[in-house]
Amino acid sequence: MRAARLFAGPVMAVILLCIPTSASFGDDTAERAHKLHFSSIVLDTHDDTTQRFFSKNFDLGKRNPDGHVDIPRMREGGLNAIFFSIWIDGRTMGPPAIQKALDQIDAVHENVRKNSKEMMFARTAADVRKAHAEGKIAALIGVEGGHMIGNDIRMVRIFSDLGVRYMTLSHFYNDEWADSSTDKPAHNGLTDYGREIVREMNRQGMMVDISHVSDKTFYDALEVSKAPLIASHSSCRAICNHPRDMSDDMIKALAAKGGVIQINYEKSFIDEAYRQASEKVSGGVVAMFDQLKKQCGDDEECFGKKMNEMEKQATAEGKLPHVTWEKIVEHIDHVVKLAGADHVGLGSDFDGATMPEGMDDCSKLPKITEALMRKGYSDDDIRKILGGNLLRVMEQAERVSHEMQAQN
Amino acid sequence: MDKELRRIAVVLAGGCLMAMSVAADSVSERAKKLTHAAIVVDTHDDTTQRLLDPKFDLGQRHADGSIDIPRMKEGGLDGIFFSIWMSGKITGPEAVKRATAQIDAVHEQVKKHPNELVLATTAEEVRAAKKHGKTAALIGVEGGHMINSDLGVLRIYASRGVRYMTLTHSVNVEWADSSTDKATHNGLTDFGKDVVREMNKLGVIVDISHVSDKTFYDALALSKAPMFASHSSCRAICDAPRNMTDQMIKDLAAKGGVIQINYHVGFLSQEFRDAEKKDPSINAGISEEVKKRCPDENDEACQLIEGDKITREYVAAGKLPKVDYTKIIEHIDHAVKLVGAEHVGLGSDFDGANMPYGMEDATMIPKITEALLQKGYSESDIREILGENTLRVMTEVERVSRELNAKK
Repeated sequence: MRAARLFAGPVMAVILLCIPTSASFGDDTAERAHKLHFSSIVLDTHDDTTQRFFSKNFDLGKRNPDGHVDIPRMREGGLNAIFFSIWIDGRTMGPPAIQKALDQIDAVHENVRKNSKEMMFARTAADVRKAHAEGKIAALIGVEGGHMIGNDIRMVRIFSDLGVRYMTLSHFYNDEWADSSTDKPAHNGLTDYGREIVREMNRQGMMVDISHVSDKTFYDALEVSKAPLIASHSSCRAICNHPRDMSDDMIKALAAKGGVIQINYEKSFIDEAYRQASEKVSGGVVAMFDQLKKQCGDDEECFGKKMNEMEKQATAEGKLPHVTWEKIVEHIDHVVKLAGADHVGLGSDFDGATMPEGMDDCSKLPKITEALMRKGYSDDDIRKILGGNLLRVMEQAERVSHEMQAQN
Repeated sequence: MDKELRRIAVVLAGGCLMAMSVAADSVSERAKKLTHAAIVVDTHDDTTQRLLDPKFDLGQRHADGSIDIPRMKEGGLDGIFFSIWMSGKITGPEAVKRATAQIDAVHEQVKKHPNELVLATTAEEVRAAKKHGKTAALIGVEGGHMINSDLGVLRIYASRGVRYMTLTHSVNVEWADSSTDKATHNGLTDFGKDVVREMNKLGVIVDISHVSDKTFYDALALSKAPMFASHSSCRAICDAPRNMTDQMIKDLAAKGGVIQINYHVGFLSQEFRDAEKKDPSINAGISEEVKKRCPDENDEACQLIEGDKITREYVAAGKLPKVDYTKIIEHIDHAVKLVGAEHVGLGSDFDGANMPYGMEDATMIPKITEALLQKGYSESDIREILGENTLRVMTEVERVSRELNAKK
């Protein structure tokens, strides 16, 4: 979300040149990839498009000249299941955080209602499959940051009833019961209350999302959770050493318990040179976020614009290196080699991050399928990465929920 | 809940005596049968406050208060609107959070008692509950302050099963005047009108109890669906601003609405009201005593229940007049003579007000049937008053909602 969107934009598009296009190979890979992609459930676990629902200039049902996600472009990119992220700044807490989260949840439901010919709200893996069978896009909800429950465990149940299917335990700042990866540790991971919250999430069938949390919080959650965890939008530290990414050990531990890492496309999370350069330019994700927050307050449009400007300028001045979309594939491949194809998926951070060149919006997703095919991935494995793995985790979370509720 | 009134009312109620005439109002077999065969719906019960106490078990018979499952069964009460309430002085996100938690508390009770209770959001579901021998639990929000001027929050409430909203409680909200506050908006503001329109769209009944006369007329002019007064009585008999004038009752009925008679002694009996007014020290004394017995100022349930008890002590001591339950019948009969039996129903205010003698709890409801039979009411008129009128309004409101949503 947002904060991560160090620099967005058009700049990258220019660099497409270096991408090998399938046509040049004279084989049928492109065609097979296209077929595979458009017959698969392609599920993205993290999209900040929700923020745009509050702008008068945005219409989900129409093609928009900016941003990364709308229905026409989802259709074009074969993206047929999407988690709309509920997000507010982690320093808004208590009842105001709750009300804002409720507002955003409502906005998702309203947008689905408005676009009901194209979209269907989904609460379960079965719902996602049903939407796919009916040719509709499945809309799901994830809450990005435990601060939005206002330190009240009852809100987990309430959010779940309202259709929330995962919650990221923290955002950039610690919340009352969990440490963030980008804040100074205050709780040594999860507090006792934080553990209770994880159990309640299990009970509700809400997936536990460990993107954004500190390593210790991750390991604590992994120990407590009865269902597999997800990282809804994180990449690999072995390639790009950002605290928002996961170490190989973490990825292995996550996978050992059936979890999935959903690769984030944000440039400063996938490219080490870019990360280092952007830290020099902006002081890093959180510092940059703070700076923009000061300038723009809650004005999301100002936020995006300023971010774009800053990146444009820094790139023009040669302060930031180019990052291309193949870097995403590199992260996927890294996880597959480490933990197998059952434990990786897509968590773009569209509309909340700076996209690499060639992944300008969700219409470009078929390139990932083709690249994986060219790497020799089986159709089966590709389907898992595109969405099958996440649906498996959802089903497991649902099963755990049924079991826990039956026990009561 | 009529807390403000309670202070006053409580006082009044207690006086006469518990001695009253249980024996005198024995209930005939015919009245019992009719009550149990009919669908009996009460549109206003403050029992929700008690549900916030984790120790309170709705499934057990209680010595205090007016509502629990055994007593509802005994009295033939088939549908109950649990009121979501907090003082109108609690506003902003805090009010949203608390209301959300209270709605959740009602859902939790339904889950805890799946064999006895079922959540109902439509007239059809109330009928189905009756057929399956279950009590229908419905939800009403008592006071527009709980949406914090946010239609998104209103929609979230509706999606959580809320089926009516009282536009105000005892103080004005940002967009509507209350009957017990100084007029500041001259009825409904433009945003208040948007709220009413959105309620129509959502199928949430517009409840005009508590609102100023001008707010009532503004809402009546605007609402495309019939409205009700979820818990108000007749001003012609007891001149309280919370009650409705004959003209208001007629205008409400002309548009298909229903006045649900409130059993609160301070709204039923002019004598009681006069006694309260005459000696303000009575209410002050009751308030003091309530504070003593309920040291936790947030424990509304304690305050409500103790308030009722203390009032009765005052009645017993002869400081306040004793009001008999037949006063309820007088109000019903007054409204029926004015507008016909199709426009009157039951909105007890149980667990939120001071009950008259002989109507201490839900088990006494058959006495209303008996009294109406003795007055010569037809069985079909009695069925209407007991619940069918409410179901008719619900059905109409649902129809209007469907139409408005289809239009788009």
